[in-house]
Amino acid sequence: MHYNKIIILFLFLNLNTTFINAQNDLLEELDKEVKPTIQFQSPAFKALKIGNLQSTKIAEKGDIYLIVSHRFGPLKDGFDTFLGLDNANTKIELLYSFWKGIQFSISRESFRKTFAFAAKTLITKQSNKFPLNLVGYATINRDTELDQNRFTNFTLKDADRYSYSLQLLASRRFSKSFSFELAPTLIRENLQILEETGTANHNQFALGFGGRYKLSKRVSLNAEYVHNFSRDENSIYYNPYTFGIDIETGGHVFQLLFSNAQSSNEPGFISNASGDIAFGFNIVRVF
Amino acid sequence: MNKLLFILLLSTLESVIAQKYFTRNGFTELKASTEAFEPIHATNNSSSAIVTNEGKIASQIFIGAFKFKIALMQEHFNENYMESSTYPKATFKGIIVGFDFSNLTNNKEIKLKGVLTVRGIDKEIESIGVISKTSNSSFRLKANFKVTPQDFKIKIPSVVRKKIAKEVIINIDYELKEKK
Repeated sequence: MHYNKIIILFLFLNLNTTFINAQNDLLEELDKEVKPTIQFQSPAFKALKIGNLQSTKIAEKGDIYLIVSHRFGPLKDGFDTFLGLDNANTKIELLYSFWKGIQFSISRESFRKTFAFAAKTLITKQSNKFPLNLVGYATINRDTELDQNRFTNFTLKDADRYSYSLQLLASRRFSKSFSFELAPTLIRENLQILEETGTANHNQFALGFGGRYKLSKRVSLNAEYVHNFSRDENSIYYNPYTFGIDIETGGHVFQLLFSNAQSSNEPGFISNASGDIAFGFNIVRVF
Repeated sequence: MNKLLFILLLSTLESVIAQKYFTRNGFTELKASTEAFEPIHATNNSSSAIVTNEGKIASQIFIGAFKFKIALMQEHFNENYMESSTYPKATFKGIIVGFDFSNLTNNKEIKLKGVLTVRGIDKEIESIGVISKTSNSSFRLKANFKVTPQDFKIKIPSVVRKKIAKEVIINIDYELKEKK
């Protein structure tokens, strides 16, 4: 009698374990076994720029980018210049990444015949472990248009042609469609023309705000604004804003935009925006 | 009476420690290249799979862990086609028909049947694979099958339609070890 009870108990156990095994989902078991890994968020922005402001996106190692940017004349010139299209300021930029997480670029822009060299480096990416994309950006600009004839009681030195910008770019992709960026910026301008800037602010601090909202998988709405805290109230320049749309087609991104700045170099648009709204575009091609 | 009890005890033990084989670094490969265009090829070295002694198999893979040679292609794969932030993983649940670890030989042909789930959409899969015993406690499973983007409601815009193959080839190569 005693044995019978034990046998029944075992039979029951047997049934029970097979029953549990069948119910136990193998996929759930897999889930428990797989170690959690760092999951990086997809990039917050499609292109290397939001509009004028640098985005946190960086070229991947070995990528070559060709970026052609146009900024036309002010829309307010009307039909006389066909809404500014007669006066194009062209910037051609070549960009390459030799090593992972760092890119270099050289460019030439018609506005003040400026040559620029820039470097951008990744500090950290947004992931399930860290909430932000952090990127550092630095650029050196040389104005080759400046001419001694413009000045009467001032001797132009070569150093006066240079301006610099240093930025920390912090962005977060809040959702599939919405990303936002903050860009604390330092600008150094070696030359300050007091008739234009009011006071001599060689070193300027500015804060940029930029965002994008994806309208569809390949089209997004972008906007940005930069507040320059060091601007004198008598300065003839304005804080720059830019808004537009990004259209992505395979290896190209087209950025159609409106901006009140004529330059698309950082010292140019953050310190020297004329304030008249104009049409422009960036065409980004990756090879 | 004692004998009967002993047999029952053994069978209970067996079902409690039902043998399973497992990997978390299986190799999965995607190919969707067409002639005359840049190759579309991605690999994933962190596929996980589990196989029971009865041949039941479950496998899962993180879409974001697929690596492409061209970073932009990888970004488009995740954002525009697979939507990996919404559907982070693909799973497979099925059986290896006639699986028996103790009778495994080298390059034994087997039939793999089951349901592949990608982007939350199920698709029945049947494929011929090969199993090789690699040690007393491990074996290697290789198989391939074809799926189409339409199977999982992936829309391909007309501008790139010529660059992406109509059928995507998936190769798997997993070495599963006895799970303790």
